[in-house]
Amino acid sequence: MSDKALTLAVPSKGRLMDKTLEMFAKLGMTIKKTGHERGYHGKVVEHEEIDVAFLSASEIAHDLRSGRIHLGVTGEDLVRETIADHQKRVTFIKPLGFGHADVIVAVPKSWLDVDTVADLEEVAAQFQKNHGRRLRLATKYVNLTGRFFARNGFFGYRIVGSLGATEGAPANASAELIVDITSTGETLVANHLKILKDGVILKSQANLVASRTANWSSAANDVHAKIEQRILG
Amino acid sequence: MMQAETAQKFEALEQLAAKLREGFTKAGFEPVAPAILQPADILLDCSGEALRARTYVFSDLDGHELCLRPDLTVPTARLYLERNPTVHDEARYCYNGPTFRYSPADGKNTRPREFRQMGLELYAMNDRLAAETEIFKLTIEGIEHAGLSDYKIKIGDLGLFTAFIDAIDMPTRWRARLKHHFWRPDTFHKLLRHLSGEDQTDTKDNNGWPTLDPKDLLGAMLIISNYMRDKKIPLIGTRSLEEVTQRLMDRQLDAAEKRLTQKKVQLIEDYLAIQGPPRAAMARIIDLTDKADINIARAFKRFEKRLDLFKEQGIDLKNMEFSAEFGRSFEYYTGFVFQIEAPNFDEIGPVAGGGRYDSLLKKLGAMEKVRAVGCAIHTERLLTVVEGEME
Repeated sequence: MSDKALTLAVPSKGRLMDKTLEMFAKLGMTIKKTGHERGYHGKVVEHEEIDVAFLSASEIAHDLRSGRIHLGVTGEDLVRETIADHQKRVTFIKPLGFGHADVIVAVPKSWLDVDTVADLEEVAAQFQKNHGRRLRLATKYVNLTGRFFARNGFFGYRIVGSLGATEGAPANASAELIVDITSTGETLVANHLKILKDGVILKSQANLVASRTANWSSAANDVHAKIEQRILG
Repeated sequence: MMQAETAQKFEALEQLAAKLREGFTKAGFEPVAPAILQPADILLDCSGEALRARTYVFSDLDGHELCLRPDLTVPTARLYLERNPTVHDEARYCYNGPTFRYSPADGKNTRPREFRQMGLELYAMNDRLAAETEIFKLTIEGIEHAGLSDYKIKIGDLGLFTAFIDAIDMPTRWRARLKHHFWRPDTFHKLLRHLSGEDQTDTKDNNGWPTLDPKDLLGAMLIISNYMRDKKIPLIGTRSLEEVTQRLMDRQLDAAEKRLTQKKVQLIEDYLAIQGPPRAAMARIIDLTDKADINIARAFKRFEKRLDLFKEQGIDLKNMEFSAEFGRSFEYYTGFVFQIEAPNFDEIGPVAGGGRYDSLLKKLGAMEKVRAVGCAIHTERLLTVVEGEME
């Protein structure tokens, strides 16, 4: 991406960006945008050898996978969703204590007969008999969902893509249940949904993540070691 | 692994396929060529989301979800349905062509994502044993004709399993659940433990509503609807109050049932562990059922008669092994299943497999159940083995 030793990607907007910049500042790394305010490039004032890229959290996950960036700050949920073989592609260096969100399975509160994933499989069988199709599940987390349910014995569902507000899908009858992220649970309550007892797929937060597939020159390794030392204290 | 990347290999594969096809068409199987691109919707509805993990699914510019066919059984079944909407006509099809499966890049164990399959499908033949024998025999003759001499055959029978579960005394709902989970050994085992009360994850429902009368659905619905109103829980989505209530009633019944005894759990586990030469396995099944005093005579006789038919047709039972558990990895099979392996080429996987799948066509939209038996031959593997044997 650049001729600098190492590329570090940070979230390009919102609280996640603010918190990230704040954290690096505390570590003595002042991150500034270069060029114009809405641009995507930046630098670390104290470390000329680091190139900073401002990207969306999901782009950061993609670029960690492909090795376009060396280090990135992004949600664990996105890394696990985007990178099927993440153990091979990336290393989680440190959870950062912000950006908390749980990936959860939620169903209508009115499903009084459903508390666990095991219940879902039975409901699916009943639903198939009565409605002639599988339960529809709305989510942006297709991969996390697939792996979680394969492990937990729920198969009678079909994923329907979700572009907008996933949590509204059951109420507007475009899906029967959802897999989504939640931090306070308020949106779920507002949409008359409940989380299954064993329905927490992942407790996620922002992480500093290293790409294993990036071009790790000895210069890049040096910078990496410096940052890691600071962040791990 | 032999892949058709050079003209020479491609030619060799085509020659092998032609050799097989010659025998198949002579036996009355019409060559067909179903579409490579299939609507993902139908396949996902039929096989579930697990399919996504091994299939190339993508959207076209109109937003339709399509996939590269992960096997030819479903596409060929769709072709049969198109040609025979009333599904009464017996039909015999054979095919040969590429199939596509995603396999995660994992060093040397990586399986090719594109491979060729040759296969047979036989629909709506009333005489089940005759249909199974016909397909089984043709498959064996085919691979022998292709030059494979050293092979072993694994067979199984999901009908026996079903009969076994049906013969053991327990609530019908539990039987349905056990059968439903046969294909997932882990979940099946968990369920067994659950039904036996061994895992106490949910002991008794502690609900905020009175006991529901199992004979009074409307009364129960009223109780539940009042409860929801009091708790300000709106009924949202597509599942009705009746469906929710019905399941609450079932759950209440389940909780009141006697747990499955350890003896019965053991019996099921013992059955699933049976493995060995067909005749010896049969003796073991008789032994088990006699001791437990359960009766699976009909399914057992069918199994026995099938073996007799095989023998009559000159199929050698010597290199055959029965496994009660076999069939667990292919969800659409419903009865007899078989797989042909080359013992010296274990690492490449089976060269052929097949069986009965009586519920697939209904899932694909047929008006009623259609009897169906088929097989698929992995021609790249077959060629690898045949050429390997010659060296």
